[in-house]
Amino acid sequence: MQLQPEGLGVWGIAVAVAGGALRGSIPYLFVSLGECLTETSGKINLGMEGVLLMGAMSAFAVSDLTGSPWLGVVAAALVGLLLGAVHAWLTNQPAVNDVAAGIAMILFGSGLAFFFGKRFVAPMAPQLPLIGLGFWSRIPAVESALRISPLFFIGVAASFLLHWIFTRTRWGLQVRAAGDDPQAARALGINVSGVRFLAITVGAALAAVGGAHLTLYFPGIWSEGISGGQGLMAVALVIFARWSPRRCLAAALLFGGAQSLGLSLQSLGVKGYYHIFNASPYVFTLGVMIATCSPSRRLAGMPGALGRK
Amino acid sequence: MTPPPHLRAVGITKRFGLFTAVDDVSLDLPPGSFHALLGENGAGKSTLVKCLMGFHAADSGEIRLNGASAALSSPRAARLHGIGMVFQHFTLIPSMTVAENLVLARPDLPATIDWPSERTRLSQFLSGAPFHVDLDSRIAELSAGQKQKVEILKELYLQTRVLILDEPTSVLTAAEADEILGFLRRLVDRGELSVLLITHKFREVQTFADSVTVLRRGRFAGGGSTRTLDAAGMAEMMMGEARAERRIGKTAGEPGAPRLCLDNLCAVGDNGLEAAHGVSLTVRAGEIVGIAGVSGNGQRELLEVIAGQRAASSGRITVDHQTHLPSREMIRRHRFFVLPEEPLRNASVAGMTVAENIALRLFDQPPFQRSGFLTDPASIREFAVRMIRRFSIRPEDPDAKIESLSGGNVQRAVLARELSGGDVGVLVAANPCFGLDFKAVDFIHDRIVETRNKGAAILLISEDLDELLDLADRVFVMSGGRLVHETTPAAADLAEIGARMAGHH
Amino acid sequence: MTLAGRLERILVPVGAIAAAMLVFGLFCAALGVNPLLVYASIWRAGFGSWYSWQNTLVRASPLLLTGLCTVLPARAGIIVIGNEGAVVTGGLGAVAAGLATQALAAPVSLAAMLAAAVFCGGAWIALSAALQHYRGVSAVISSLLLNYIAIALMNQLIEGPLRDPSSLNNPASYPLVPDHRIAYFSGTHVHYGLLLGLAACLLAGFLVDGTTFGFSMKVAGGNLRTARLVGLPVGRIAVMAGFLGGACAGIAGMIEVAAVHGRANESLNAGYGYVGILVAFLARQNPVAVIPVSLLVGGLLASSGMLQRAHDLPDATVSVLEGILFLFILLSDTVYGRLKLQGGRTHAVAA
Repeated sequence: MQLQPEGLGVWGIAVAVAGGALRGSIPYLFVSLGECLTETSGKINLGMEGVLLMGAMSAFAVSDLTGSPWLGVVAAALVGLLLGAVHAWLTNQPAVNDVAAGIAMILFGSGLAFFFGKRFVAPMAPQLPLIGLGFWSRIPAVESALRISPLFFIGVAASFLLHWIFTRTRWGLQVRAAGDDPQAARALGINVSGVRFLAITVGAALAAVGGAHLTLYFPGIWSEGISGGQGLMAVALVIFARWSPRRCLAAALLFGGAQSLGLSLQSLGVKGYYHIFNASPYVFTLGVMIATCSPSRRLAGMPGALGRK
Repeated sequence: MTPPPHLRAVGITKRFGLFTAVDDVSLDLPPGSFHALLGENGAGKSTLVKCLMGFHAADSGEIRLNGASAALSSPRAARLHGIGMVFQHFTLIPSMTVAENLVLARPDLPATIDWPSERTRLSQFLSGAPFHVDLDSRIAELSAGQKQKVEILKELYLQTRVLILDEPTSVLTAAEADEILGFLRRLVDRGELSVLLITHKFREVQTFADSVTVLRRGRFAGGGSTRTLDAAGMAEMMMGEARAERRIGKTAGEPGAPRLCLDNLCAVGDNGLEAAHGVSLTVRAGEIVGIAGVSGNGQRELLEVIAGQRAASSGRITVDHQTHLPSREMIRRHRFFVLPEEPLRNASVAGMTVAENIALRLFDQPPFQRSGFLTDPASIREFAVRMIRRFSIRPEDPDAKIESLSGGNVQRAVLARELSGGDVGVLVAANPCFGLDFKAVDFIHDRIVETRNKGAAILLISEDLDELLDLADRVFVMSGGRLVHETTPAAADLAEIGARMAGHH
Repeated sequence: MTLAGRLERILVPVGAIAAAMLVFGLFCAALGVNPLLVYASIWRAGFGSWYSWQNTLVRASPLLLTGLCTVLPARAGIIVIGNEGAVVTGGLGAVAAGLATQALAAPVSLAAMLAAAVFCGGAWIALSAALQHYRGVSAVISSLLLNYIAIALMNQLIEGPLRDPSSLNNPASYPLVPDHRIAYFSGTHVHYGLLLGLAACLLAGFLVDGTTFGFSMKVAGGNLRTARLVGLPVGRIAVMAGFLGGACAGIAGMIEVAAVHGRANESLNAGYGYVGILVAFLARQNPVAVIPVSLLVGGLLASSGMLQRAHDLPDATVSVLEGILFLFILLSDTVYGRLKLQGGRTHAVAA
C-alpha cells in the first residue's frame, strides 16, 4: 500500500507508519504467540519459518479452490496443527536435538510449501475482507492506510487469551510448570509430554494462521519469497518480550513498525539504499537480541527447561 | 478427621534390568505412627518408597491399605488413597507463586481456576498451619528451609494422611529440621498423620521415630522399636559389620607457608543477585581448610569462580602471592586442580571416553602432543590404563564412554585426572563424596589426605559436617554468601556451628 | 572404537537414507507417479553416466565447502545456519580483490581472491560465534539474520559501486579477467574448485580428529563447563571454529565467482548455503563424511531437471526429499546404542 507523500505532511506519515505497523505486525504476532506458547512449555520450535510458509500456501490454495478466504485460514490452522504434531513427536524422541529438528522442519516445511504451491503461483486468490479503521478521515489515503485485516483483531484477542490461559486455567498452569521444572511437574502428576505436545501443536497452528495473512492480504499472491525470515525473527521476538503474551503484542507492533518505516521512507522519496532499507528489520532484530541477551545471567521470565536437555 | 490408613508393604521386590534394587522387603506403618527408614546411599530406600508412591510398579509383593490390597499404579492413585511424598529435590515450580503451586497440586482442580475462592480456601488453611508463608511470593525467592515448609504445607493441604519424607532435612539446619519434624511428630501424636521418614541421621531416628527399618543393599537388615535400638546397633545393621574406627592418617606437624588465598571474592548468581560476598581466606601448604554450610548459601557459585566457570564480580585469587587466572598456563604453573560436585555434569565430557577425559589436563603437552600440534591417542590410552588401575576405576575399559560409568567411578576418573597431573599445589573440592557408597567415600578421603600429606593446600567445601570434622584442619561456616565462623575440629561446638549455618549470629 | 561401533556408524545412516527414500517413494505414489521410475530417474540423472557424474560433481563441489561451514563450528558447540551469508560475503570479497588485482598475474590475483574470500566469509561466521559466546545471542538466529543482511549488502553493491554498466537487465559486477578464473578439468565442465572442496574436507577431518586444537574444540563442544575448568580459552576456540567454517563457505563463494560466473551477480545467492546445512547434519558433523554426503545430495540436486522433464514433478520435489532425509537422519540418532550390535546398554541405576 503505497502512499503519495504530497499533501500529507508529518501527520500523514505517522498514520502511514501506524497502519503499516498494524499490518506488518500480524505475522510476527501470530508466530510469536505460537512460539511463546511452545517455549513456555519448555520446548523450542525453530521450524516456524516452514510452518509459516505452509500456512501461507495452504491458505492461498484453499481460498483459491473454494472461494472462501476464511476456509483458507482454517486450512492454514489445520496444516499448522499437523506440522506442529510432527515436530512435537520428533522432539519427544530421545536423543533428538531440538535445534536440529527445527532446522529440519524449516527445510521440510518450505520444501512442501514450494512443492504444492507450484500450481498456485501468480493469480490472486480471494482475500480476507478488511476492516476500515479510518472511517473518521476524509482523506482517502489515510482511510486506505487504516484498513486492517481482521486477523489483526484475532491476534490481539489471542494475545490476551493466552495470558488468561497462563494465569487462570489448569492447562495453562501445567504448561508453565512443564516448562519451568519438568521434573517437579511430573512429581505433581502432570503429563509433561502430553502438555508439551498440545502446546507445540497449537503453537504451530497459530503460526500458520500468521502465514495465512501473508497471502490473503494485498498483494494477495503466493510466491516463494513471501516470507523473509519472519518465522525465525519471531523467536527473537519472544525472547525480547520475555515470554509474556501481552508483551509479544507490543513487540510485534514494534517490529511491524520497523518494517513499515523502511517502506514509508521510500515512498517519501528517499532514493537509493533500497536494499539497505529492506535489511532494516534484520538489523533491528539483531540489535534487539544483542541488547537483550546476556551470556551468564538467566533472563528474567525464561522458562527453566528451555535450552536444557 | 479420618485417621490415616494402615499401610503395609509385603515382600516388595524391584529390579532394574539385572540390578535388584529392592529384594523382598516388608514394611509396616500402623495409623498414627512415625517410622524411620534407614540405610546408606544405594541401599534401596528411595526405590522402595517410590513403589509405595506409585512411581514404580514392584516386580513382586503387594501393598495393603487397611488390610486390602491396593493397586498404586501412579502417584495420582497413591494420592487418592491419602499417600503423599516430600522428595529430596523440590517439586515446586520456581517461577510460580506459593498460591499457584498449592493450587496446581490439587488433583481435582477444575479446568478454569476461580482464584477468589481458591485464595479463600488457602487462607483458611494457612491460618491453622504453624508455618507462615506469603501466598504471593515466588518460589525462586524462597530459601531452602522455606521451600521445604511449603512442600509440607502442600501435602497437608492435599489432606495427605500417610506422609513419606525422603531425606527432607538435608537442606535444613538442625534447628529448622527440629521445627519441622517436631511439628509432624505432634500431628502423629494427635492421630492425624502417619510418617515414614527416610534418613541417614541417627539423631532424627532416635528423637522422632517410634520404630525403624534398616535396609542394606536392597534387603531388610534389621529393625525394631527405637526405644530398644541405639546408634551403634543401627550402624551395625546399616553397614553389615561394626565399622572400624577409621584412622584418617593425617600427618602431624605445622602446615607450611600460605599458598592459596581468596581475597574478597564476590560472585553473582544465575538470578542476578549476589551469591557470595567478600569471601576471604588463606590455605597453607599441607593443610585442609573446610567450608561447611547448608546447600544454597553461595558455595556452588564460589566453587565455580575458583574453577573458572564463573567470573568473579570482584576480588581475586592468588597462589603463592601471584594472581591466579583460569588459563591453562596458570593452572599448570600453580599446579591448581579442582574437583567440582556432580562430576559428570561439571568436570567431564559425557560423550568422550574415559581415556580422553583423564587426558583433559595433559593432552596439549608432550608426550600426549607430538610435533607441537598433533594428538597422540596411543599414549593417552596407555596413560589412562595406568590411572584406571591405580584408581580402581570399573569397568577397566579406557575406551568406554564416561557417561556409562556409575557415579563413583566417574568421580574416581576425575580424581585420577586431577591428582595425576604431577605434584598438586592446590586442590579445591566440593562435595566430592555426595551420593557415593562407603568404599568410594573412604577411597576418596584417603586420596585427599594423602595429597595433603604431600604438601598440597586443600580447600574442601562440603555439606557433610562429619566429613569436614574428620578431614579438615580448620573449618569455616558459610551462610548467606559470607564466611561467618571459623573453628577447628577439636574446638568445634556443634550447636554454635548449627546456629551459624542457619544464619543466626 | 569397536567393530560394532564402526558398523553402527555406517549402517545407521545408510538405513536412515533407505527409509527416507522409501517414504519419498510413497509420497510419489500418492501423487500418482511410479516411485520405481522416479528412483531410476534419480539414479540416471545423478550417477548413471559420465555426463551425469559431471553434473553431480559440479553441484557437490560447493556443498563440500558449505557443509563444513556448519560442521566446524558445530564440533565446537555452536550451531550456525548462516552458510549463505558467508558464501555471499566471501564472493563479494573475492570479486573486489579480483577486480583490484586485474593487472597482476593470474596466480597472484587468484591468491588475493582466495585470501579475501577466506577473510570475509570467516569474519561473517566468526561474528555469530562471538555474539553467542560473549553476548549470549543464539548463533542460529544471528547467523540467519546476517544471511539476509549479507544478501542486502550484495544487492546494494552490485547495483551500486561494483555495477557493470553493460549488465543492464541482470545487475552484475564488472567481470573478472578471463585468465584469472579457475579452470575446468579438460574435456569436462567440472572445475578445479572440486579439488579445493575435497582438500578442505580432508584437512578439516585431520584438524578435528588429529590435532590438539581439534581436541580442544571437541571438549568445548562437548561440555563448556568442563572446558573452562581445564582452562581452555573457550571464547577463542568458538570464534576460531566459526572463522574456519565461514572461511570454507567464503571459498565456495569465491569459486562461484571465479569459476562459474566470472562475476558477482544475483545467482551468488543460489541456495547452496542452505543445502550445506542439510549436508552437515546428514554427515552428523563429521568433516570426512561430508564428502560422500555431498555426492549424494549433489546427485539429488542434479536429478531435479530430469524429474521435471520425465515425471512432471516441480523442482521443489528435491527439497521435499531433502526434508524427509533430514528428518530421518535426526530420528536415527535415537537408534544408536540400541542395536544388538552394541551388546546392550549400560543402565544408569536408580536406587
